[in-house]
Amino acid sequence: MNRKGMFLFLLIISVCFLSGCWSKRELTDLAFISAYSLDLTEEGNYEATVQVISPGNITSGLQGGGGGSSSPPVIVYSVTGENLSDMDALITKKLSRTPYYAHTDLVVISEELAKKEGLPPILDELDRDIEFRTTTTVVIAKETKAKDLLTTLTGTDRVPATNIVKMLDTTEKALGENVRVNVHELITQVTSKGKEPVLPGFTLKGDPMQGKTVKSVQSTELEAAPEADGLAMFKEGKLIDWIEGETARGTLWTLDKIKTTIVSTSWEKEKKAIAYKVMRQKTKVSATLTKGKPKLSISTRAEGDIAEVKVPVDLTDPHVIKKIEKELEKEIKSEIEKAVQQAQKDKSDIFGFGEVVHRTDPKAWKKLEKEWDDRTFAELDVDVKVEALIRRTGLVNNSLHTTLKKEEK
Amino acid sequence: MLSFFKQKKNRSNPQQPKEEIYAHKQKKNRSDPQQPKEEIYAQKSSVMIDFSLSKNLEDIKRITGNSPDIVIRKVKIGDQAKTDAAVLFVKGLVDSRAVDEFFIESIMKSNHLQEKRTPEDLMGLITDEVIPLGQAQSMRNQEEIVDSLMAGNTLILIDGIDEVLTAGTQGGEKRAIQEPTTHISIRGSKEGFTETNETNIAMVRRIIKSPDLWVESMTIGQVTKTDVSIMYLKGVAKEDIVQEVRTRLNRIDIDGILESGYVEQLIEDQTMTPFPTIDNTERPDMVAANLLEGRIAILINGTPFVLLVPALFVGFFQTIEDYSSRVDIANGLRFLRVLAFFISLVGPALYVAATTFHQEMIPTQLVFIIAAQREAVPFPAVVEALIMELTFEILREAGLRLPKAIGSTVSIVGALVIGQAAVQAGIVSPAMVIVVSVTAIASFATPAYGMAISARLIRFAFIISAATFGFFGLILAFFLMIVHLCGLRSFGVPYMSPFAPFSPSDFKETFFRRPLWAMNERPRMAVGKNVTRQGENQKPQPPLSREMIMTDQKEGDTHES
Amino acid sequence: MSAYQLFTLILLFELGSTLVLPLASEAKQDAWLAILIAMAGGFCLFFMYYGLYHYYPDLPLTEYVQILLGSVLGKGLAFCYVLYFVYGAAAILRAFGEMLVTIAYPATPLFVINALFILVIVYMVYKGIEVIARTSEVLFVAMCLLLLSGFLLLIISGTIHLENVKPVLEEGLSPVIKTAFTGTLYFPFGQIIVFAMIFPYIKERKKVKRTGFLAIGMSGLILALVAAGNISVLGLDLASRAPFPFLASIQSIEVAGFLERLDIYFILFAMIGGFFKISIFFYAAVMGASHLFQVKHPSRLAYPMGIVVLLVSMAIASSYTEYIQEVRIMLLYVYMPFQVIIPVLLLIIAFFKNRKKVI
Repeated sequence: MNRKGMFLFLLIISVCFLSGCWSKRELTDLAFISAYSLDLTEEGNYEATVQVISPGNITSGLQGGGGGSSSPPVIVYSVTGENLSDMDALITKKLSRTPYYAHTDLVVISEELAKKEGLPPILDELDRDIEFRTTTTVVIAKETKAKDLLTTLTGTDRVPATNIVKMLDTTEKALGENVRVNVHELITQVTSKGKEPVLPGFTLKGDPMQGKTVKSVQSTELEAAPEADGLAMFKEGKLIDWIEGETARGTLWTLDKIKTTIVSTSWEKEKKAIAYKVMRQKTKVSATLTKGKPKLSISTRAEGDIAEVKVPVDLTDPHVIKKIEKELEKEIKSEIEKAVQQAQKDKSDIFGFGEVVHRTDPKAWKKLEKEWDDRTFAELDVDVKVEALIRRTGLVNNSLHTTLKKEEK
Repeated sequence: MLSFFKQKKNRSNPQQPKEEIYAHKQKKNRSDPQQPKEEIYAQKSSVMIDFSLSKNLEDIKRITGNSPDIVIRKVKIGDQAKTDAAVLFVKGLVDSRAVDEFFIESIMKSNHLQEKRTPEDLMGLITDEVIPLGQAQSMRNQEEIVDSLMAGNTLILIDGIDEVLTAGTQGGEKRAIQEPTTHISIRGSKEGFTETNETNIAMVRRIIKSPDLWVESMTIGQVTKTDVSIMYLKGVAKEDIVQEVRTRLNRIDIDGILESGYVEQLIEDQTMTPFPTIDNTERPDMVAANLLEGRIAILINGTPFVLLVPALFVGFFQTIEDYSSRVDIANGLRFLRVLAFFISLVGPALYVAATTFHQEMIPTQLVFIIAAQREAVPFPAVVEALIMELTFEILREAGLRLPKAIGSTVSIVGALVIGQAAVQAGIVSPAMVIVVSVTAIASFATPAYGMAISARLIRFAFIISAATFGFFGLILAFFLMIVHLCGLRSFGVPYMSPFAPFSPSDFKETFFRRPLWAMNERPRMAVGKNVTRQGENQKPQPPLSREMIMTDQKEGDTHES
Repeated sequence: MSAYQLFTLILLFELGSTLVLPLASEAKQDAWLAILIAMAGGFCLFFMYYGLYHYYPDLPLTEYVQILLGSVLGKGLAFCYVLYFVYGAAAILRAFGEMLVTIAYPATPLFVINALFILVIVYMVYKGIEVIARTSEVLFVAMCLLLLSGFLLLIISGTIHLENVKPVLEEGLSPVIKTAFTGTLYFPFGQIIVFAMIFPYIKERKKVKRTGFLAIGMSGLILALVAAGNISVLGLDLASRAPFPFLASIQSIEVAGFLERLDIYFILFAMIGGFFKISIFFYAAVMGASHLFQVKHPSRLAYPMGIVVLLVSMAIASSYTEYIQEVRIMLLYVYMPFQVIIPVLLLIIAFFKNRKKVI
């Protein structure tokens, strides 16, 4: 009959059925890796650790769930090797399923590795691998093994990787001492000449051995828990210093990454007497060049509410508000200045001042480029201007302290 | 033959000259020697009726195999009841009251017939004065006479005359007008077509009372001799499409037409396509609406489903209710239907492609949940999808043909099997059940059954292509479908218009539903000369709004408080 | 074929593989500027092709070449053009297959992916220019929606950092112009010459010029926007290193916690664009060959020539790196003569020939 049609039909059918398995992966054949960590062994090799999700255990309440919290939601495997792809293959000796990195949320790099080897050798693989997403968050394990951050079980969010990433997000939004950085941003910053990266640090409070068992999450106070702690400062791909506390926040102010935060200022000799909640802020960095010598200026404008008052202050008086604003400006300014000073001391341009200069005057940048980090940046004049505005005073006009004080009289 | 033609001309219904001429043309085509004929007809096609009554009756008995439902009532008429005559009709096909009262009774009792006349005069007399029936004509060709008898007419044969008088007494049992079972609407006429062509034509005429509504009739099917009528609005329908319909219908040479689907398959532009290129409906108001847009309706005796040509892809997503409900709602529903059609096409295929090829594209939390559900399932996702889809199709097919009482049992069993037991047994994952049921519900949202069922078929092709090459395969299959759709035509009109080829004026009229007052022109695809639909300025013009100040208050305006 | 259909065809053709591959990456952060300059050059080229069409409105390129140059020389050149079209189709097919293998189907043989794709294309070309044009209209709408929503998502997700595009013209204008006139002009703008095979089928002849300019302008703008978008999202360094910068941009989208991982966008872009680009080249090749060898039913050539294109696409290079290198060479030694030099000569000859006739 229609031989041509038959032939074509057979061709298509055979293509469908013969080729079916080339790039196909069933969900049940994949080991979803939620987090990936790298340590440096004593021999100088890498130790890679993967945190594999056991799907049956994370969604309790489903049929075949294996009884909710009695078994851990993740299992951790480690392997040592000399490069990342090698280890990826080696790890299958321990895994019953193909490791699958597309849903990896978190990469943890140990402090030691970051200090000795630096980031660039690792980043190439992460960038090249087609499974690996460049939106994955990168953190540095501070004063602990990177592996321990993966093995420690967590409470609220049962998958430890998710827990850490969400924790980072929350603290970035509410406190502003840490910042979430993904592989994509990291690579951009590492390769850029006018900007050095910062990465959030995580430390483990408690006993790592205790944190491995399900028991630890069955108590109300966790035996071991990861905690966000400081920012790692890099230079030429290697970790050189940590920024902590208010200095870390100053860094974020400069990077324009603060979303909301609480700034406290002293009032009439009482320390941290007035707390101010920043609701919005905008920081601009600009450069001016005079005779080839750059000068940077940072201007911040913050808006927010009074969050807490510990001393009697008349908040209904606009003059008092103005005064408080002045105090706050001083406080924020000092935070920013501290951050700038530390960066200049470590000769690492984490704020991207170099890029600002590049954009302002490409020709001058050509000359400055070579010794930017070591000389120009370290000796840079930085001018900080802060404007803090109090918009509202919360649900109370005047503090109860004011009333109390009046009664005393 | 010449005299027959003359008489016919005299007695033909003056209101529908076209019909008659057309019927004649049809006959001419039939006697075309090139066309193969069945033997029985070849023998008697040119046989004329005889002068002898008894021979005529014998002939008719022989041709019809002496069937008992053919009643031969012999009467004597004329001067002193000397002349033999016979009345013939088929039991059940005729309106027996009409035959008894108006026919036999009037022949037997008529005073006119008592006068002395030649037999030749008798025939004219009966036609002109005796029978009080609308349709009457005389015939000489034996084949035509038998056909007319079989069509439910009553014959009078008179001895000594080589002519037969046939009178229209069609009747008998037929279904009353009921609410249509398909194309159900919330708001709109509740009338549905019946199996009888005359009734159906009358129902449309009752809606469009214009003399421009032209009907052309023909019989198709050599054995069944089914009445087929084409109906269109003169001046609104495009003349060459009407001509095209005529030629295609005339081409049909088949033994029987039992349903409009037979005609549809014989006249459609392309057979090898899952998509319907001819629309059908059970609703007179929908036919009327389509006629007003220049389409042509083909009514077939014996089925309530009327064909509408040319049909366009977008047309299958419109309902008659779109035009009676409010603009915003109608437009929203139209988008919803297209979306539902899309889901019903690719729903399971997307699931299969995403879970077996592109896990990286599923949001993290979701992929963990799906993975957890699939832990216990022993089959690959494709097999799972095919099992569920097949089960569902079987269920639907089984439920469709069962008596209503058992049908509900099937759906309960099906719901239990698909929904509960399969999941608990770990054969399918709950996510798959959700996908399949959403798909199934979506496929019910397409108003036209023909389009919905094509989506069901194509869905399987999509699942297989997605299972072999993931999104690449799926997109390729989708491209194939679009190319195929763009290559289709319905009676010369590109199937995908007004999308492709794009015509802005039609696009806003068919794809969107504009306010009724803004639809000034008919869609151009099928419309001939008369493009204007309505007068200008049809927007409702209530008295000026009071804006911010209340002025001009009349008594009774202030009931707000 | 209507003018609107020509518009959608040219637009999809221009966006074809260029949306996917890095374009004018030598011009660094001024890639968008290079594209706009090349677009202006594209206008000139189009005007030239239009001039030829104006002289011979009923004939495709491969036919009027024979009138202009005489039978023997003309046939030779027409044959070369057919080869060029086949190569064009094959090169894009290869790029497309390589992209799919790289981003989504690492374990699938390139041959199979190419074969399936060309199968669908052959099916469409087999159905004729009418169907190609109509399909382009349908998918054009899809492409527009995708582009709009893609840009919207990029903006909403806040990954666009416009300061990445600065400083403008860091190295001055010369590298930008150099990029525009050694690369971007020939790919994609010069490839419009394929439409010299399609112009005769257009009914609305008066609108051809305006439509062509509009389509080229629009596609140039979109390409420039995409190039600028890529750099502003990825940064110069990443944008110039990524083999598929647009994919990397799309992957960076993260909206509301669930609108992420939108790789499917990219695959759709690539497939819609690639589909039409290959189809048009392929159609031109089939029509050219059927005129040249006087085949009565051009559609009969579709399947055999499909196989030729498939084999050529496999044979042009052994690896992706080699392919990229080869395309660079082709750009100057094949694309430029076929798209610029020969049409200029033809136009001059046509001008003199037709002037004689008038006198």
